[in-house]
Amino acid sequence: MRLILSIIGVIIFILLLGAIPLSISITDDNLIFDFSIVVDLVINYLQGVWNGESFIYQEGIGRSYSILQDIPDYFLTTLHYLLIAGFVTVCMGMFISAWYSKSQKEWIKDIIGFLGTIPDFILVLFLQLGVVAFYQSTGFHIAKVASRSADENAYLLPLITLTLVPTIYIIRTLSERTYDVLSEDYILTAKAKGLRKRFIFIHHVVRNVLPYLKADLHKILAIMMSNLFIVEYLFNIRGITAFIFGGTMYQYNLIVSTLVALVFLYLLIYWTIRLLILLLERVFAHD
Amino acid sequence: MTNWRLWVGGIATSLIILIALIGPILAPYEKDYVEPTGYYYNGPDDFGFHASPYPPSKEHLLGTDEWGYDILTLLLYGAKYTVFVGIGVALFRIFIGGALGIWFGLSLSKKKKTNSVFGLLGSIPAFLIIYFLLIGITINSPLSVMELVTLQSILMILLGFPGVYAAIYSKTSELAKEEYITATKALGAGKIRIMRKHILPHLKGTLLAMFIKEIILVLTLIGQLGVFNLFLGGTILRLHGPPVYISISRDWAGLIGQWRSFIYDFQWILFFPLLAFILMLFSFYILSRGIELKQKTTLQKFPHI
Repeated sequence: MRLILSIIGVIIFILLLGAIPLSISITDDNLIFDFSIVVDLVINYLQGVWNGESFIYQEGIGRSYSILQDIPDYFLTTLHYLLIAGFVTVCMGMFISAWYSKSQKEWIKDIIGFLGTIPDFILVLFLQLGVVAFYQSTGFHIAKVASRSADENAYLLPLITLTLVPTIYIIRTLSERTYDVLSEDYILTAKAKGLRKRFIFIHHVVRNVLPYLKADLHKILAIMMSNLFIVEYLFNIRGITAFIFGGTMYQYNLIVSTLVALVFLYLLIYWTIRLLILLLERVFAHD
Repeated sequence: MTNWRLWVGGIATSLIILIALIGPILAPYEKDYVEPTGYYYNGPDDFGFHASPYPPSKEHLLGTDEWGYDILTLLLYGAKYTVFVGIGVALFRIFIGGALGIWFGLSLSKKKKTNSVFGLLGSIPAFLIIYFLLIGITINSPLSVMELVTLQSILMILLGFPGVYAAIYSKTSELAKEEYITATKALGAGKIRIMRKHILPHLKGTLLAMFIKEIILVLTLIGQLGVFNLFLGGTILRLHGPPVYISISRDWAGLIGQWRSFIYDFQWILFFPLLAFILMLFSFYILSRGIELKQKTTLQKFPHI
């Protein structure tokens, strides 16, 4: 029930947000915000949902396509990237934070923390520059710098970017939790019983760290979504965000439909990763 | 052990602020100086044509861009926008979010449940919200640079302070459970006094470290908007031929945004602004680490016996 309410809330937010660029005008150096345009746009859109007019968008002059027909392909492309990145992030984050929590060396923290503060767009540009420079000096082609067409997507660099930033976030938060768990009494008890280190990690540490991962999932996904926009734009991937930045003119219905699709994408990814965590719980935290 | 991070960060950050302050004086060229394109002829075997972009050389330390503007000069002129907007927005975020967080952290004792509405809003990143608000205003805008900078700063403050509020709120309500707070309350201290004498001294270090981190977040946000051609201080869009986006204020994130496609050729045009931006982030980061470590050593609890 709360989920439905929050979906409705987000959709209302999207309807208003998308209308803002069209309702702001500047005349004589004054910013004018016309709320009646917002109301008109929203009403038009909602009426259009009924008869299907809201799902027609234009590309160029006189060519119109159906959003409902075109979005699934783009949606699947993005889903594909996010799922791979999400899985790798969760697994790698868990693994590295378990290992990293024991090292209390400040310089390692420096490096990981700084990697975490590098903004995604800088990372993308540096990766692209690096690959080109490497190619020009050695003639060896490591990876595609950007997608050239919808059939030939760049994979390696976008996935590196999509994975690296949230992984570092997980490492930073979970390693603290792991450290706390490691200093608990039940770990001492387990050690006193003569259990091996690996056994303690698998049976006692992982299961007590997983709840924190679950609680942080929204934050992790928010980071990934924000990365997604930058990554798809700079690597020229024909994913769902291409609808927002790709067009030549601002089409309200296209923007709103895309953003709503994005919310569902978010939910889909969220529940898939929850499923993955459930699976991990089955493996590690069964009794 | 000396806290070298604090020193390095402090010195690097003050250097950057100094550059932002007096950059235009240090600049080797005028702001709109363009290195001319032309022929040269030194003899029958040594002649040719030279045109921008010029690679890094003695005359142009960091090279010139595709129109012949000196990159070092542009960076020095643009630094003040990037640095001072970053610091200013972060300051306001900390001030507003911190004040509200401490105030409500002391008054609301009930624990609110975090609802999933905020979780779902994560599907729409912060820069996208600002993007939609500004897309109709920033590009080829009749507003002046200062007006646009102020507008974007206000939007960035409004979107950023709830995060600071939430963090400070939870820290304050943790502190409010301590016994000495109960004791002062029993002795009749008012809320203002508790805030000033008991909460603020504890949160001072946290607030300072958060401030530096917020600067980095604000700079990231400016940069992300720059990637989508919304430059701090306004964008000029030229539509004859392929669209060309130019940053009016020459702020660093804007320069990266406007030159982001120089990956295959003339890489120095993109590389040096990127390097400048990342050095700036690095110095703020090292400073925040230094503050964090300093606080860790002062607030650490030690065993009594």
